[in-house]
Amino acid sequence: MNIIEHFVSGKKFSGNSKKTSKVFNPATGEQTAEVKLASTKDMDTAVEAAKTAFISWSKKTPLHRARVMFKFKELIEKNFDELTKIIVLEHGKVFDDAKGEVTRGLEVVEFACGIPQLLKGEFTENVGTDVDSWSLRQPLGVCAGITPFNFPAMVPMWMFPVAIACGNTFILKPSEKDPSCPIRLAELLLEAGLPEGVFNVVNGDKEAVDAIINNRDIAAVSFVGSTPIAKYIYENCAKNEKRVQALGGAKNHAVIMPDCDLDQAVNGLMGAAYGSAGERCMAQSVAVAVGGIGDKLVECLAKKV
Amino acid sequence: MDKKSEMGPLVTKEHLEKVKGYVDIGINEGAKLVVDGRNLKLQGYENGYYIGGCLFDHVKRDMRIYKEEIFGPVLSVIRAKDFEEALSLVNEHEFGNGVAIFTRDGDSGRTFASKVQIGMVGINIPIPVPMAFHSFGGWKRSLFGDQHMHGPEGVRFYTKLKTITSRWPSGLRSDPEFVMPTMK
Repeated sequence: MNIIEHFVSGKKFSGNSKKTSKVFNPATGEQTAEVKLASTKDMDTAVEAAKTAFISWSKKTPLHRARVMFKFKELIEKNFDELTKIIVLEHGKVFDDAKGEVTRGLEVVEFACGIPQLLKGEFTENVGTDVDSWSLRQPLGVCAGITPFNFPAMVPMWMFPVAIACGNTFILKPSEKDPSCPIRLAELLLEAGLPEGVFNVVNGDKEAVDAIINNRDIAAVSFVGSTPIAKYIYENCAKNEKRVQALGGAKNHAVIMPDCDLDQAVNGLMGAAYGSAGERCMAQSVAVAVGGIGDKLVECLAKKV
Repeated sequence: MDKKSEMGPLVTKEHLEKVKGYVDIGINEGAKLVVDGRNLKLQGYENGYYIGGCLFDHVKRDMRIYKEEIFGPVLSVIRAKDFEEALSLVNEHEFGNGVAIFTRDGDSGRTFASKVQIGMVGINIPIPVPMAFHSFGGWKRSLFGDQHMHGPEGVRFYTKLKTITSRWPSGLRSDPEFVMPTMK
């Protein structure tokens, strides 16, 4: 059986935990791999590596960090089909949808290539006589990301390219249901010239999440998942004096006005409600039919579903 | 991996059961199941976690299938008598991630964008996911914290602001001051 390990300090890392979880191909129901689930000690080892890497990475010039991002962008483009296939086999979404997710992630990498411009501060000359004032933005230290199964590439890529380009180091705890894509991204980052320990992937369950919350060397936590867990992460990270952004659930409405272009609305709803089998936090799961358009809308939808 | 397919399976067997369970709940709550996708079987993928698209009509605001996130291919149609009622439905919901309005009327679109209590809004755009150089995030119980993800908000989240105020010594020209410093 294929064993999926962690990725720490630029290489595969087994850790000491004996816990594992099964990874399936949702299209066939077959088990494809076994993923290691980190212990608190495993997580702390990764954080230690990220903490050490921060000392030199945060001192690199913004231009240097941007160049690593440019190279990373090139490598994602070169390995596009491989990354897409990994997502399809573990998540189950269709090929073009998976390709779209990698594209949306790549766009954040492209944004991060502009980090020298984005980190420019502000300066006021002579705020008082002979006194000048300026502001600048500095990295936080070790940041962590906890990401859901529904976008195994895109959601991690909302976080780490920006975090790393700003000069932070990063621990990613991806979903244990589809953990292979982040490991491949970690290898590509290394190939792009990112120093060891700047980006680490630690697989795990609640124990790993709590290890992130309780590790005092982690400065900030980004989370995407369900609302009850988002609230749990927010409260406990705040208690431990961390900066936190925790994105939770959704029930997205589409308001269908009586004057709309019904074909456009129906096509839009079909993709938004049923695309990726509805497993998107931006899926439309409610259509609000306004005025007398309800019967016609349902009739049109029923024909297409 | 079939490049012609439009919808894949759900992620796990447990999740498939959960989504099917919600369809049962909707029926018991009295919503009208117009399209039932629960018995979908794909040739060659009989053990995959597939469910076909499901469509409910006459869903009411107190139903669980309206209030809770199902995270599956289940669409609920709820009727509203006018624009105001539609807007209040959206604004009174617990979550505030994304929303869309379909209309040809510029005034309806503009008023909706201004008054809706949601983080990401689409006007004739079904999935208004912001581009990488803008930021992603919802309102209400869809986001805990202050900053959205990626884009300029991402840069703010991952950096600390420092403000420096400086003066170089003027040598013998200045005397010490003992009152609260204010800018002169």
